[in-house]
Amino acid sequence: MRRSRFPFIMTGVVLVFFYLPILILVVDSFNSSRFGGAWRGFSLRWYARLFREPAIWESARNTLFIALLVTFASLVLGTTSALALHRFSRSRLQRFHYTLVYTPLVVPEILMGISLLMAFVACGIRLGMLTIILAHVTFCVSYVALTVLGRLQDFDFTIVEAARDLGASSWMAARRVLLPMLAPGLAAAGLIAFTLSVDDFVITFFVAGPGATTLPIRVYSMIKHGATPLINALSTLLLALTFTMVLISQRLSESGALKSRTAEQT
Amino acid sequence: MKIHAVPRFLLAAAVVAAGLLAGQCGGRKKERPVLHLYTWSDYIKPELVSRFETENACRVVIDTFDSNEAMYAKLKAGATGYDVITPTSYMVSLMRSQGMLRTLDHGLLPNLSHVDPEYLGIAIDRAMAYSVPYMLTNTGIAYLKSKVGNFEPTWGMFGRSDLKGRMVMLNDMRETIGAALKFLGYSLNSTDPAELARAKDVVLGWKANLAKFENEQYKNGIASGEFLLVHGYSGDILQVQAENQDIAFAMPREGGVISCDDLVIARSAREVRLAHAFINFLHDPAVAAENTEFIQFLCPNKDSYGMLDPSIRENPGIFLAPEIRAKCEVLADLGEKNTLFVEVWDEIKSGM
Repeated sequence: MRRSRFPFIMTGVVLVFFYLPILILVVDSFNSSRFGGAWRGFSLRWYARLFREPAIWESARNTLFIALLVTFASLVLGTTSALALHRFSRSRLQRFHYTLVYTPLVVPEILMGISLLMAFVACGIRLGMLTIILAHVTFCVSYVALTVLGRLQDFDFTIVEAARDLGASSWMAARRVLLPMLAPGLAAAGLIAFTLSVDDFVITFFVAGPGATTLPIRVYSMIKHGATPLINALSTLLLALTFTMVLISQRLSESGALKSRTAEQT
Repeated sequence: MKIHAVPRFLLAAAVVAAGLLAGQCGGRKKERPVLHLYTWSDYIKPELVSRFETENACRVVIDTFDSNEAMYAKLKAGATGYDVITPTSYMVSLMRSQGMLRTLDHGLLPNLSHVDPEYLGIAIDRAMAYSVPYMLTNTGIAYLKSKVGNFEPTWGMFGRSDLKGRMVMLNDMRETIGAALKFLGYSLNSTDPAELARAKDVVLGWKANLAKFENEQYKNGIASGEFLLVHGYSGDILQVQAENQDIAFAMPREGGVISCDDLVIARSAREVRLAHAFINFLHDPAVAAENTEFIQFLCPNKDSYGMLDPSIRENPGIFLAPEIRAKCEVLADLGEKNTLFVEVWDEIKSGM
């Protein structure tokens, strides 16, 4: 029987749809023309200029700094909340808790941005890095909690009980059994939190204070007055970084799986 | 040992983050005052900022916004910490009416004597009580010299059916309806329903010849020759001209929009003296000339004009002929009457 070619064609179309814009962006970042309409020769001038723009690098540093702290804070808070949600899933309090965790996912960003800003102003907190971090944690926690909760749903808690039977304290069991078993879920949740934090524009715009401009805000305002090819060059660098990171993490997980398989065989 | 991998990673992340935080606090020199500027991106020459920092022993922190409305929403909700802001004139009057701006102390601003009185004649805040004009841009017509025959500097060009499908107008109700109002000889800020109705018919006539209403891509479109004639901002067009010599910019003889971004000091500003010093610095004629050449918008500082490069000094798109300039206007905040424009614009967009 001949295989249908439909899935093959469909995959191709979807890939083109997803990756063509990115490809255009990468190609354009090497275009010496400032206005992407016509190709005016290969050039690295936008990359050269990018390295002479301290404002962009400062925003990049702010963004990474915020994302790291946000990832850490929301991993801790999100995981604990997922554990509580899972363990006491039938109590009314936890069902209410679940609604609370779920809400930030469906509340429109602009509403969240404005209301957070008003809350910060009402509390007299000075706008700056701290307010961005707090705002990002409020929505990242939900994503982390739901991702970890998904992991917990098919988690075999008998292992933890076995550890307790064998004399481990509850802290020891959590640290040595539960956390390592959850590690892939935590890594996934952490990556989501990191990405969301690096990406966010709307909420960040409202809660950012003076001196705390992040990369998305900088890029967005550059579209109006700045040079778009600079943004293309910056995006290409970020893409290259992301791809390398994905490749490395794949390598690591592959070699890890290989090692554990050989360990089982011996 | 793999057991500890996750907590260790988290610990490491925390340590790195704490280090970064400490580094940032340590890097901040407490004794130097900090001026916070909230502006459009790339809207001041970086070397000038460094010069101001050295001269005044301070630090300037620049944050950027991308639209007047977003900036207004943020400040209105209570965001503080910004000293000098550069909104467009119509937004300045709105912010003024909301009590968000400080009255300027002219004793600290001796350089205001250099501000072009000709521009002030059409400005909204003529006395510079709470705003000082920073950068001007004109909205006019850009076209490809080799492709558009018998060009005439008039808004009526958009009615030429031989250019059908190769022309673009701005997707901005005040600019585009304003062009039609000017074409008919009315004021840009007209709120007379009969005049607006006539303007609507004019724009609908033009719309039949347009490829689209659009604000950003028209620059790429004219640079690559996809569009032959576009309605656009002189600042943008100058940047495109640097790449494609075939592009010319003209201000229609009926007059058009001059937009101005103003320097204002926020009510909540902490460094009020420094903010005045900064505004004064930007209107030093030599500084203004350098800034104009870098941004390619025009700083309305009459004593800086002589120092400008001839290519800018003699560009009729930047320095308008006096008789055309006299017909140009600044977009005013229409308040409640704005809905009249919204209605007309909706009807234009839906093609009625």
